[in-house]
Amino acid sequence: MRQRAIWSAVLVVGLALAGCGSASDSGKSTSSDGKLVVWDWKSGEPFAKSYLDKAKADFKKKHADVEVEFVAQPFDQYYTLLGAAIQSGKGPDVMMFNGGGQIRDRVDALVPITDYVAEDKQRLAGWEAFTKDSKVYGSPVTLQGYPIYYNKDIYQKAGLDPASPATTWDKFVADCAAVAKAGSKCFALGNKEGVGIQFWLSSMGSVTLTAAEYDAWITGKRDWTSPNVKRVFETWKETGDKKMNTDGANSTAMFNDSFAAFQSGKAAHVMGLMSDVGHWKAFNEFLTPEKLGVMKPPVVTAGTTPSLPYDGGIGYAVAKWTKDPKVAADLVRSLTSADALKAFYADAGAIAADTTIDVSQAGPAASTIVSELKSGKPALHVALSSKTIDLMGRLSQQLLSGSITVDEVVKQLAASDQAG
Amino acid sequence: MPIGNTQPSVRLASAGRAGGPAVTSPAHRGGARPRGGLGAERYAPYILVAPAVLIIVLLRLYPLILGVNFSFTGDGDQNGEAVGFGNYQELFGDQLFRTALRNVGLLVLLLPVAVAIPGLLATFIYLRVPGHRFYRSVYFFPAVLSPVIVGAIFNLLLAFDGPLNAVLGSFGVGAVDWLGDPDIAMFMVVGVHIWATFGMALVVFLAGFATLDAALLDAARVDGASLRQVVWHVIVPSLARTIQFVFVTTMIGMLTSMFGLLFVMTSGGPEGSTYLPEYYIWIQQGQMNRPALASAASTILFVIMLVVGLLQIKLLDRSGKED
Repeated sequence: MRQRAIWSAVLVVGLALAGCGSASDSGKSTSSDGKLVVWDWKSGEPFAKSYLDKAKADFKKKHADVEVEFVAQPFDQYYTLLGAAIQSGKGPDVMMFNGGGQIRDRVDALVPITDYVAEDKQRLAGWEAFTKDSKVYGSPVTLQGYPIYYNKDIYQKAGLDPASPATTWDKFVADCAAVAKAGSKCFALGNKEGVGIQFWLSSMGSVTLTAAEYDAWITGKRDWTSPNVKRVFETWKETGDKKMNTDGANSTAMFNDSFAAFQSGKAAHVMGLMSDVGHWKAFNEFLTPEKLGVMKPPVVTAGTTPSLPYDGGIGYAVAKWTKDPKVAADLVRSLTSADALKAFYADAGAIAADTTIDVSQAGPAASTIVSELKSGKPALHVALSSKTIDLMGRLSQQLLSGSITVDEVVKQLAASDQAG
Repeated sequence: MPIGNTQPSVRLASAGRAGGPAVTSPAHRGGARPRGGLGAERYAPYILVAPAVLIIVLLRLYPLILGVNFSFTGDGDQNGEAVGFGNYQELFGDQLFRTALRNVGLLVLLLPVAVAIPGLLATFIYLRVPGHRFYRSVYFFPAVLSPVIVGAIFNLLLAFDGPLNAVLGSFGVGAVDWLGDPDIAMFMVVGVHIWATFGMALVVFLAGFATLDAALLDAARVDGASLRQVVWHVIVPSLARTIQFVFVTTMIGMLTSMFGLLFVMTSGGPEGSTYLPEYYIWIQQGQMNRPALASAASTILFVIMLVVGLLQIKLLDRSGKED
């Protein structure tokens, strides 16, 4: 027995000393000639058909001899499957990514496509979320932003003016009290996945941080000791303490339970999205376009100017192991061509990365969002690493349950952020 | 080894029993068979076992060693570089992983409950409570449901505005955030896991009861033993081996089969309170893009499972000797 233990120890120490291997074997090429494989989580959806048809037709014009195969993966497994593909160095030639941390964490497996997509630079918005160290790794298909939607019906019932929602935090809290009196909650919140705080941080960022702090945050110079940064988390805690959120937020899924709560009139506001889920088009189906409002975040720190936080939402990138990056990049360009994106907007309801698309028929909410794109800024949470975002999600749940202080939250986030 | 040596004794014995004149001396036998044949016989077992050994080595041990080896390398910028025990150090410094390990300890503490429930129910079925046939199928029914379905059902039942809180409310009890309170959530997930899986343990117990000597029960009853005494002094000792088996298999089930429920019911939350090593591995590998760290966590989970497995062998071995 003792001898067995010694041998086991020798084996472990040997492995520890010799420990070598690689998460990715990126030298291999797997795409066969004449075929490109695309991984995403949208192509299986009925609404994507017209979008894909348009993209494929555009690509066919450039490369008639190249076949394109779309493989739709389940979104909740997507990055796990992609991770396995990246480790083996074998996988799709073109792949869909969420902008921000998800693509930036994986740029080692991607080809910079800066030069290939130079012509699209002006036409499309949201590049920042697909850029790392000044190199572009993906082209945006949609824009992802975090507008605050509100239910004009509930405002009316609460005796508030639906045409002029609160512009300061104090007035907003007072309005929420009126909403509560009328029998509704102020916010529809589902924070089971810990995602709610990301929306909160980005929505409230422009009205809590000064313009200089905001810009510094995006460029990576984040001052976690700033009282304004702390204030963002204080307002989040305040919504819990003052029971402004729908009940059981920590056990309610954001997708789609909290959005359903807003649609069904249980809450007056929701921090929603502008891509193809939890957005104006989905809400319109239940509230009707006339009842759905989009408001600017109420000013928390005097002197700040509210702006719409948004980035590139989803986009396509080219794998390092693809045989001909130029052809793969051409496919990415087709997937972000004007006609294809127009179809994506029309069928999925997402605000597409091509901001020249006319949305005037979509109702006042969509028009308001698009009109705010020009003055919009990148979302604060997108600048954080996946690890810090994950930690922030858990800490946000603790803030709601009251088991942690705001000081401790910013301290832990600072440590995680500085560790990279 | 000694196939050549064992054969003579067998042949001699059979020859002795038959009492016939058969010549069975080793010398004669050796002369009658070609040398090559004896060699082939000597190596035959190794050749026959070789495919199985190859499969085990190539498909089991080699990947295992690769995984352990990978756990000593870095992630991200350090991809492929040797980092010694760096990942293990990081793991034990990670509060989330420590919570996952603590939850393993909690599972061990809850294990007797997970065994006692099917044990007691099987006892009642064995003792033929009214409707025992109906109960037997009802108890087994959840075992055929997918954890995803079970999780989805209980998500609805345990929702803050769900039916359970509605029932409690009708009794004047305030609503409880069953899956949103970090002090309660893990117990709810384990409770649902036990509900969903005790049917299999129940079947094992019923199989154990089939071997129980009914005369012992009759004797106890004639002696005036109460139900509690019958269970404690007759049934439990007679089913010692079955109980041990259910203990170990239930523990393994709890450590390796709760992922689906966790994923659907709590996603590790709230506040990371329902993390188990398996879920942690999945998050690090899939969401955090830290495959080497995930490998280190997998290695630790493997060691935990190994300890449980060895305990199983030891327990069964000991009870075998007692028999």
